[in-house]
Parts: sequence; structure tokens; C-alpha cells
Amino acid sequence: MRSLYAHVPFCFHKCHYCDFYSFVDNADRQGPFTEALALELGALARWERDGGFDPGLDTLFVGGGTPTLLALEHWERLGEALHGAYAITPDTEFSVECNPETATPELMALLASIGVNRLSVGAQSFHPQHLKTLERWHDPDNVERALDLAREAGIRRVSLDLIYAIPGQTLAEWEADLARAIAIGTGHVSAYALTYEPNTAMTVRLKQGKFEATDEDLEATMFERTIEVLGAAGLERYEVSNFAASDPATGGPCRHNMAYWRQEQWHAAGPSASAHVGGQRWKNAPRLTDWMRSIHETDGGSPITDHEGVDPSRALAERIMTGLRLAEGLDASEMLTRAESLGRTAALEAAAHRAQEHGHLSFDDNRWRLTDTGLLFADGVSADLMSALD
Amino acid sequence: MHIRNFSIIAHIDHGKSTLSDRLLQSTNAVSARESREQFLDSMDLERERGITIKASAVTVFHVHKGEQYMLNFIDTPGHVDFSYEVSRALTACEGAVLVVDSTQGVEAQTVANAYLAVNNDLEIITCVNKIDLPAAQPDEVAMEIEQILGFPAEDCIPCSAKTGEGLPELIEAICERLPPPRAAKMPECRALIFDSHYDDYRGVIIYIRVFDGELKHGDKIRMMGTGRTYTVTELGKYTPKPVKVKSLGPGETGYLVAAIKTLQDVRVGDTITSDLRPASEPLPGYEEPMQMVFCDFFPSTSGDGRGSQFEDLREAMAKLALNDASFTYAPVHSEALGFGFRCGFLGLLHMDIIQERLEREGGVEVIQTAPTVTYQLLTTAGEELEIQNPAELPDPSIWKELREPIVRVEVIVPKEFVGDIMTLCLSRRGEFRAQLAISETRQMLTYEIPMAEIIYDFYDKLKSMTRGYATMDYEVIGYKTDRLVKVDIMINGDPLEALSFISHKDTADKRGRSLLIRLKKEIARHQFEIPLQAMIGGKIIARESIKSMRKNVTAKCYGGDISRKKKLLDKQKKGKKKMKSIGSVEIPQQAFMAVLDQGE
Repeated sequence: MRSLYAHVPFCFHKCHYCDFYSFVDNADRQGPFTEALALELGALARWERDGGFDPGLDTLFVGGGTPTLLALEHWERLGEALHGAYAITPDTEFSVECNPETATPELMALLASIGVNRLSVGAQSFHPQHLKTLERWHDPDNVERALDLAREAGIRRVSLDLIYAIPGQTLAEWEADLARAIAIGTGHVSAYALTYEPNTAMTVRLKQGKFEATDEDLEATMFERTIEVLGAAGLERYEVSNFAASDPATGGPCRHNMAYWRQEQWHAAGPSASAHVGGQRWKNAPRLTDWMRSIHETDGGSPITDHEGVDPSRALAERIMTGLRLAEGLDASEMLTRAESLGRTAALEAAAHRAQEHGHLSFDDNRWRLTDTGLLFADGVSADLMSALD
Repeated sequence: MHIRNFSIIAHIDHGKSTLSDRLLQSTNAVSARESREQFLDSMDLERERGITIKASAVTVFHVHKGEQYMLNFIDTPGHVDFSYEVSRALTACEGAVLVVDSTQGVEAQTVANAYLAVNNDLEIITCVNKIDLPAAQPDEVAMEIEQILGFPAEDCIPCSAKTGEGLPELIEAICERLPPPRAAKMPECRALIFDSHYDDYRGVIIYIRVFDGELKHGDKIRMMGTGRTYTVTELGKYTPKPVKVKSLGPGETGYLVAAIKTLQDVRVGDTITSDLRPASEPLPGYEEPMQMVFCDFFPSTSGDGRGSQFEDLREAMAKLALNDASFTYAPVHSEALGFGFRCGFLGLLHMDIIQERLEREGGVEVIQTAPTVTYQLLTTAGEELEIQNPAELPDPSIWKELREPIVRVEVIVPKEFVGDIMTLCLSRRGEFRAQLAISETRQMLTYEIPMAEIIYDFYDKLKSMTRGYATMDYEVIGYKTDRLVKVDIMINGDPLEALSFISHKDTADKRGRSLLIRLKKEIARHQFEIPLQAMIGGKIIARESIKSMRKNVTAKCYGGDISRKKKLLDKQKKGKKKMKSIGSVEIPQQAFMAVLDQGE
């Protein structure tokens, strides 16, 4: 298998904008959770071996929740389980998400020792008032500290997550955040416009009129400035919200996420984690108790939901949708060939032409890429191309 | 056998239906197991909204002081929209039980219903309900009834439909205090139709009250208003189970089935007589139901032709009309919205009910335009036109006089809110008529207000201003002319006639502007800038613009987001199909309700 995602659902606090499966663990279920995760990893590896797959992993990503909230002993156990199940080598990109408050020299050393070589730190903002809006409570100074600790432990690839278009945030404040991220010296930045996900406390408050969302014009300007400022600092945009320095030792695109956007294959472990294998998609059941019960009852099998079978039309639509988000774009002839079996080649080509005429899409070296303007309207462009497949 | 025909009348939620149930139980007509909650309300919607929409009649037998009594009780709709139906039901009675909630006191509809009963010469028994509740104030409420309606407080019967307390006294009063039916005035048959409903198996079922002569199974009958003739295939009474009878004599109520296919063939208020020996004149008081509020329904999916959605909608309309003779519909075509129907309603609640039933029972999704009232236009040529839709108004150059319907509104409110209510009524062009103290704490205000000013949010405003304490009732009292203008709306240079509205000249600017601001909120940004304009006869009175879209890109899209994001994009595509395109602008359904914003 090329990639594996493992989900750790524990958090200090459920942030009001977050729609990931996470919760505050009062019952200290970290131990039982880690044991169950180890069981699931073992089962996954067994099934893959039985199916004749290579036990090697190109990328491994432990996300959350807050994975670094796991106690050292549990990380140790998780490391053992991972290494027991898969062949993890120095070539494997092994990323872990980290909350700045949780970074300690001991944890960083342990992570490095089990092969972690990339740390993604949730900085979000360097302004305490905006962190407060997001319900993040860390001290902005701890971001730099976390990065230093990671590097000292030998984890050389570090990334920062930042959020803009936070209610009340000015363009100048956002530029200051970007400048600080550059000054700290990160090889990778994920910069997201704050998104009001359905069923989050923040969206409910927005709908109740408790505050106003950032003006669309300002948000667009912030987005454009992000590309300019980070680009000038050598962090090139390679996906809508992701920027990387060119040195692969300290920067480079996140290969794990690239696997998502190129619609490669990945397995999933842990509650609510999503998998994409052999053209099928599914999601592990999101409730910790349900997930753990099933793991124990079936010797490592997670209950799954949202299963989608093989569907060439859907697969192509998704490939277009995610591929257009990448600076590398899409191989036009490959897309047109895949559309052939659906009888939609002409329609897809016509849709691409229209997007080119609107100045949203470029066509060079046999690749479709969003133009700078097109990038701002990526959803509309992909929706148009996708509807050509219906 | 003594006969008593009576209704129970009350303000909404004062416990009328529960009391009806209790009465049925107290006379042993229904076993507790059979007694579903609110027995007389048969439609699901009524049950859910707690409103009785259609009247029905139930006959029970009761022994009082050794004598047999046939008690016919006629349930009435509680809402003002159905006041004509209420008045027909009351015509079928000699008496009424006026129920007032002892925790709430006299409310606007208590007053309206009591007046209606008094105007129909009914003997009235007053009772205060819910005396089991800790907040009950039966004596104070009885005093309120005396003060405002003039029924002596000592005659008022305290009761609790919930516990059954006071029910024997109430039944005794019904037997002793209500008069028997009047004697027949002629040998020819005359029966009043006071309600009807549609049954899938038997066709139309008519509720009747026989005043003169006799009606027998197998009789050939004639409706005196419409002239149609039928043969009676079934006569009966609801006890409350239907029980067939051979005949109905003077003073009796019951139901009649005569192979009548649609409710349109039956007019509530019409007189039934014998086709062979007809009465010389009908019973008095018949009126055509009057539709006061109009709006258009269009299929919500686009498509300019008479597509299948239009046919589905037509079918749903026809089915509803089978069940509700007071609602009208006629095909209409709009440049912007395609083919649909112009519908007429007795009032706003009636409109809401129809819309809900269309979607629920008919399974069609509709776009509803803002409700309007019926205007009268006198042209310079002396012609009088009924205007049910601002888009139908001819060029102002041929207007001589444009008149609007006026309602008399009665509001009952705790006295600390009187000032707020007066301000509200004034802002809606209301003219003060009267102020009356109901008790030490509550007042009744009477205003005359143009109906157009109250059809949408007046009631909501009233409720929110008074923390829910105010109650209101209204009645159309006539038409009046005023300085009215028609305001048209242009979107991206294209007129959207469905948004045209008639306004008083002084408030046209404000309403026009607030409509544009609402539209600005409802219409999503497009890839181009969209000018919005409000105009009176070609002169722009307000303008706004929707800025072009700057950004349409999802920030996060990772492994677990892909399915959801694809569905989101699919949904956006579908949502686009559900919107109406005016030129190249996509307009969502909510935008058509923007016209209702009063600009306050």
C-alpha cells in the first residue's frame, strides 16, 4: 500500500470551527484506544499481505484530533504496532499533526525514534485575539518552540497550519502572520480560509447573526496576498491552500496529501478515518466506542460507513475535482481518454474550452492548469468540467 | 325527545377540542379507547397545528332528569379566516358554549366569536376552562367576560376539560338553558348546508341542519343556490361513528351522501329542498366565500414549457380543491417564472395551510410569490377592475381611483404594551377607532388598517412586541382609496413582475429600498455585477447592486473530504436547477418573498 492515514480523535478542547471527529477525553481512553488501533493496524497489514501487496509504505500520516495529546507510553505502543505491521523506512514520509502546546523534548525524541520525519504544527494565527475567536488557547510563542524542539530531535520537515479570514482579522494582521511564519523558517505552510462547516458551533453562531463573516472581497485579497508573500519567500503554491519550499530535506510538498489529490490509494485506521482502495471509498465508523467494540469483536475490523463502490464516472469526476487544485494540474489526454469509456470526451473537451475562454484554465504541455484567476473560482471550474461527465 | 343544537366557540388554544372530547365522554358517546385526542378534528394537519379547519357535527344522546335529550354539537373552526364557515355552523345552532381559558382571559377571537354568536341570535353559556391549572383565575376571568361581553359572571360555569370537573354542570346547562329548535314554518323541506368534506370512497359528505319539512333516504333533492339535483343515497348522524338513519326531521342535524363528485358542486350556506315539492324560498344568509388574499404558485424546477412539474402541480391543486371549496386557482403565466397558478384564499392562515398541504399531500415543490390583497381599480373609462396581482395593473394614465381593502382589527393586550401597539398600527396606516379596558390589566384596541399592511408580518410583530401576550382578530369592512402606486423591480435590467408591489406613495421609497436590500442578501454573487432597481412608472426610486463574485474555492480538501465535496458540488449544480433564471441571473425562491419586507 502506498499510503496510510491513522486518526487519533482526542483533543484538549473542541474548537468551534472544527468538523473533524474529535472530542475531549475525560474517561482516559487513550490506552484502550491505542490497543485497538494496534489491532486494526495488524489486521490491515495481514489483509494486505494475504492480498499479495507490498508491506512498504510510501507515506504515513497520523492526524486528529490532536495526536500529540497521546501520552508517551501510548506513542511507544503505536510505534511498535506501526513497525510491526508495515515496513517503514527513512524513505517513508511519516507525518504527525502537532498542537504547539503539546511539544516536549521527550515526545519529539520519541517521535523521531519511531521514524517521524515530518511535523505539521497547528499555529492557526499569531494573534491571541484571533486564536480566541477560533477557540484555540495556545501561546503563539509556543509555535516557534515546537518547531525548534522538532528540529533538535531531528525531524527536519516542519509545516505550519495557518487560518485567515477570521472574523475581525485585518489584511495587515494576516500579512504579519505570514511574515512571522516565514521568519520562524518553515519549509511548508498550509494556509486556509476559515470555512464555516455545517453542524459546527461557529456556523450556528454565524447563522444566528452573533457575528459577521469576513467580507468576500477581503478574503479574496488575503488569498492573493498569501500566494504573493509566500511565493516571494520561496514557498511556492502547489495546491490551493498549500505552499512548500523547494528543498526536499526541509520542505517539499506533502507527499501524503499529494496521494489524496492524485487519487492514489490509501488505507485508513482509527475512528472516522477515510480510505480509498481499488477505486472504492469508505469511512471507519466515527464513534470511538462503536469502533473499539468492533475492533475487539472482529480481531481488528473497523465498522465502516459511507461505502462507495467502483464507479469510473465518479472516479474521473473526483480526479478532476482534486487534480485541478494542484499547480501541476491534470494530464489532458489522460482525462479525455478516461472520458472516452463514458462517451463524454467531446463534452469534457468542450467544457475545458469554455473554461479556457473564460480565462480560468490554461493548456500547456498537454496539461490543464487553473490560471491565477481560475484558482479563485476553482469550485466553479471543476463543477463545470464534472457536469460534462453527467 | 328534546333536541339541542349548539356549538362550542373559543379563542384558539383555549381548550375547545379537549372540551368537545370531554363532553363526548361525559355523555358516554365515545369510549376512552376510541377517543383519540381532539376527536372532532380529522385531518392530520389540523391535529398538528392544533387548529380545527373543517367543522363537523356529532350527535349524542343524554338522559337529564329522566328525559331523553338529543345533543347535536357542531364543531366550528376557531380561526378568523374561516369566519364565514363559523357563521354557517352557528346558523345551524340555537345555542353556543363560549369557552375562555381561565389562565389567559378573554382574547381577541373570544370577542369575535361571541359577537358572531350574538349576531346569530344564539343563547350563550359561558364557561371558564382549565381551572385545574395553578395559574387559573376563574373569578377574574368571569368578571372579564361580564365586563366586555355582558354575560353575567355568576352564570359562568367553571370547568376543567382535563379533569372533568364542572362537566356535569355544563351538560345540565346545555339541556336547561339552551332553547329547543324552532318549529317548522312550512311542510316543504329546507335544510341548511353548514359544512361538507370529501371522502375518497363516498364522494362529498354534506353536513346539514333541517329547519323545515323532512329529508328521507332516496329523496330527490335540489340545491336552491346552484339548482343542481341529486338523489340521497345515505342519511346519517355521527355519534361520532357514522350511523345511518331513514330520515331527518325539523331541528335535527346529520350528514347526507348523494353521489356528489366534487366539493365545487356544494356551497356551504346553500339550502337543500325537495326536487318534487320545492320550498318557495331558501333559508336566508347564503354568501359566496370571498377570497381576500392571493398569491401565485409555480413549480420550483425550471423549464419554461408546460412541463411535467406543472402537470403535477395542476393535479395537486385539483385534488386540494376537491377538499376545500373556498380556495380558488387559475392558470397564470409569468415571463420570469413560467406557468403556474394564481390562487385565492380566505386569509393568510388559509394560504399557509394550502401551501403546506400542496407540498405534503401533493408532493410538489412550489415557489410561492408574495401574497397580495384584492384591489379595486376604477379606470378613467368608468370600468371597475378587480386586481389580484400588481402585475395586472394597467398603465397609471388610465387609473381614476385605486382602492384597497380595509380591515377592522381588534387587539387585546396587557396595558403596558398599548403604546407599542398604537405605534405599530400607526406605522401601518392604521386609524384609531376605540380603546376599551377589559380588566385592570388589559385593554382592547380597535383600529382600521389597510389589509395589505397586515397580511404578512403584522401578527408576528404584534406577538414579538408583546412577548406573545397580544391577540388579534380582523374583519374586512370595505374598500377605500388612498395614494397608491405600483413599484416595479428590475434585476440586471430585466423587469421581474413577480416582485412588483402596490404601496402607499409615502412609503414606496422605503419599501423599494428595503426590498432591494433583501434581494441583495438572497441573490448570490455572480461572476458579473448585478444592478437592482426599484421604479415607479419608469422613474428609479432606489438602486442597489450585487458585486461580482471574487472567490469560489474550497479551502480544505483532503482524503475524508472528497466524497462530501463532490456531493457539495453536485448539490450546487442541482440547486442551480431549482433556481429561476431571469436573464443570466439565478434567483432563489426566498427572493420572491423579499417583497414582504416592510422596511421597518
